[in-house]
Amino acid sequence: MNRLCRLVSLSMMLLSLAACAAAPRTVDPRTLTFAPLDFTIPRSERATLSNGIVLYLLEDHELPLVNMTAYVRVGSVYEPAELTGLAGITGAVLRSGGTTSLSPEQLDAELEFMSSGIESGIGEDSGTLAMYTLAKNLDRTLELFTDVLLRPAFNEARVELAKKNTREAIRRQNDDPKAIAGREIHKALYEGHPLGREATMESVGRISRADLDAFYRRFYRPQGMILAVSGDFNPAAMKARLEKLLGGWRPAEEQLPPVAAPDTTPKKQILLARKQVSQSVIRMGHPGLEKNNPDQYAVRVMDYILGGGFTSRLTQEIRSNQGLAYHAGSRFDIGRRFPGTFIAETETKSASTAKVIGLMEGIIADMTKTPVSNEELQQAKESIINSFIFGFARADSVVNQQARLEFYGFPAGYLENFRANIAKVTREDVLRVGRNYLHPDSLTVVVVGDDKKFDQPLAVFGTVREIPLETAK
Amino acid sequence: MMQCVKRIVAVAALLGVTVSAHAQGLADRVREHTFANGLKLLMVERHTSPTVAAWIRYRVGSVDERSDERGIAHLLEHMLFKGTKTLGTTDYAAEKPLLDRIEVVAQRLTLEKAKREKGDASLVARLEKELADLEKEAGTYVVKEEFAQIYNRNGGANYNAYTSKDGTTYLISLPSNKLELWAAIESDRMLNPVLREFYTERAVVMEERRRSYEAEPEGKLWETFLASSFNAHPMGQPVIGWMSDIANLTRTKAEDFLHRYYAPNNAIIAIVGDIDPDKTIAMVERYFGAIPPGVPVPPVAVEEPPQQGEKRIEVVGDAGSELMIAFHKPTLPHRDDLVFDVIDMLLSDGRTSRLHKKLVVEKQLVAGIGAFSAPGSRYPNLFIISATPQAPHTVAEVEAAVYEELEKLKNEPVTKRELEQILNRLEYEEARQMTSIGGLARNLTEYEAIAGTWRYLIEHRRQVATVTPEDIQRVARKYFTRENRIVGFITPQEVAKQ
Repeated sequence: MNRLCRLVSLSMMLLSLAACAAAPRTVDPRTLTFAPLDFTIPRSERATLSNGIVLYLLEDHELPLVNMTAYVRVGSVYEPAELTGLAGITGAVLRSGGTTSLSPEQLDAELEFMSSGIESGIGEDSGTLAMYTLAKNLDRTLELFTDVLLRPAFNEARVELAKKNTREAIRRQNDDPKAIAGREIHKALYEGHPLGREATMESVGRISRADLDAFYRRFYRPQGMILAVSGDFNPAAMKARLEKLLGGWRPAEEQLPPVAAPDTTPKKQILLARKQVSQSVIRMGHPGLEKNNPDQYAVRVMDYILGGGFTSRLTQEIRSNQGLAYHAGSRFDIGRRFPGTFIAETETKSASTAKVIGLMEGIIADMTKTPVSNEELQQAKESIINSFIFGFARADSVVNQQARLEFYGFPAGYLENFRANIAKVTREDVLRVGRNYLHPDSLTVVVVGDDKKFDQPLAVFGTVREIPLETAK
Repeated sequence: MMQCVKRIVAVAALLGVTVSAHAQGLADRVREHTFANGLKLLMVERHTSPTVAAWIRYRVGSVDERSDERGIAHLLEHMLFKGTKTLGTTDYAAEKPLLDRIEVVAQRLTLEKAKREKGDASLVARLEKELADLEKEAGTYVVKEEFAQIYNRNGGANYNAYTSKDGTTYLISLPSNKLELWAAIESDRMLNPVLREFYTERAVVMEERRRSYEAEPEGKLWETFLASSFNAHPMGQPVIGWMSDIANLTRTKAEDFLHRYYAPNNAIIAIVGDIDPDKTIAMVERYFGAIPPGVPVPPVAVEEPPQQGEKRIEVVGDAGSELMIAFHKPTLPHRDDLVFDVIDMLLSDGRTSRLHKKLVVEKQLVAGIGAFSAPGSRYPNLFIISATPQAPHTVAEVEAAVYEELEKLKNEPVTKRELEQILNRLEYEEARQMTSIGGLARNLTEYEAIAGTWRYLIEHRRQVATVTPEDIQRVARKYFTRENRIVGFITPQEVAKQ
């Protein structure tokens, strides 16, 4: 039997043109050439229900699954300052609090028996209600989804439970040094703006079921809502079904309240949160830019060279050359509704804290002084352009991508022109946007660590303000 | 025998017998091929988008380390990003003598430092300077991160690797016209790796350890808890190694480990996406077919002796309290492991699970609770329940409430509806696991390595369907005992001081 196996295996190797080479061959990967890639951006169908809800639909029958996400014009930016935390709790209890026809327990039991899921959440500038199901349970799951969206009960006991869980999270908010640093730089960069607020024991304590209900009624409505649907369904039947379930939903129209733009003036400040750990967490940055800025493509290329991934300057110098950190990088978060942030980050042992802060500031400053090399520019542009297709690898990512572009009001042709816009970026552009959008002399620096063990006091970088870490009771 | 049948099937396919890919389950869609040197290739053809995921899994992880090389599987994984004789260097012939001199100095330095206060401080200083000078000189030949440069330029995504107790995996997704690039780079990485910049990378791994285990109270509890759970078996040792383990690793040790185990017969490749399987087999043969096989990874001989009584582990930390409760258990293919999969879902899967309903919603003792099997699967492991107490409730209250639920599993048969819900969940999971090409490549390599066949993925639901309420009671009674239990918890600093 063994011999037969070998014979079969040999004939197979011949068929597969296997080289019967005596020694393993090596091909220089740098010299390989490739056939062009056949790729066009997949499109989903756009439709509108009679009450204005916009649908994006993409059929995909490979697997017996259906996914749907509703995008809602709501967000924590709309919650009153004294009730900070209201949006997050409303988002959670919308799902956990049952509906007017099903108790929380009944809703959970019915969904989980079918292995369907509905999850809800509210972030800074949007809310989502998402569902997944096997195609055979689509009808019932859609009904339950509609119930949650239109007729949530905000069960009183579940409101109290969500508040309790939020208070526990506040109690634990100073456990993880990386979480402290991330929160504190966000607060510092959006100081005085709703985006910079954090829930407290007091603000959560003031929140009542009536607040949730009012917040929901004000912001959950068909105007401006977008639904992204993908998977194993018939589009005509889906549109008719959604019209029947959601088309009659007509609450009073109300303009969304305006939210002032945050102050984007960069501020030089050094913030220290003391924590007895062997490694310091370092975050530094300043306010950034938003999606309508035509310089965003050059900024993306610059950001890639400065802090994007293994090949970036921050990673190569701090990690690969000097062995001072496991993770080092930076990111311009290009804002969708409000200006975003630029944040560079790393963690290093206490005894190299000041050294690494100095290195990072220097590497950021270099971007504003000299042009990047041609190799760096090509590396960044080709990487961004050639990996673009991964945004469209699944039907659900295609519909959700298109829904979000409309939801946030991206200009028409944004996706179609994205690669061409990146391809246009020059070394001069990178230097120009470096000078315009990086502010190495006005960085907000946050350090969480054991300052007694630092190589130099943080005062060498400027006036240090301590952030007290108190554990709330 | 099995292999022979598979090869015949593969030949039939090569001769042009094609299989429709429409709406089939995983069973019909996986194409399997074993090369003469023992390399295993699993493929799923999928044309949803012009992308492909390629994963290589070596059947060697941290459990295969000797005690004087703890952390080497993981550090070697880092080192295999540093290039080959061709990539990552401008001139390997000129670089090599410097790398050899670095190793001599670094070994002397490592040895002298291991003497700690009894070591010769001036010798350490001299060797450190010598090492730094040599590394600087060798650095002039280095092309930084050339693998990543080439992959990224060609649109590579999710380029990464990870090391576990059980294995080591190298992964990437690429536009599908670039698959040959993967074969060229990865065969070079398998055959000709050069572990340059070793001692700088060792420092990077020490920072990784500080970041993941020392600065995070939960990480600290996790590693102390696991190490205390196993008296003998390497399953209890941290994958990353203890700090002093890492400090004493050398390039020579890494190369020994590399040459012992990184060979095609210890590797499993999964390629999922927009591919032509016949052409892919031919291409993998071209690049990997002539790499000689090595020795199979030998089994870990040590057996964990039965635990003789409850172990309780406390970690005092600058953080809120956490609780972990574990029980020793067998691993797959033991039937009891399958029963534990069911128990796991009954206890912690979703809002209707028993622990969530009882401890989160009803008694409100915890902010969150979960259950899982860990820390690896090639050798007997642990069933672990992990909970975050909600103030003002104590670890002791939570512990008592968990035991009450475990007693119920012993004393009351689970309902038919609960078991039916679990099978429904697995039906959904079978479809969901195919939505991402990377996720599918992960599952195929993982189960091929752990269970001996990727088919475990499709047999699992059928097997679970045979689990009875009596099985669950029997397993609960057998394993959920005080003698077999390990309890670990974080006590907040301010409480410990009282």
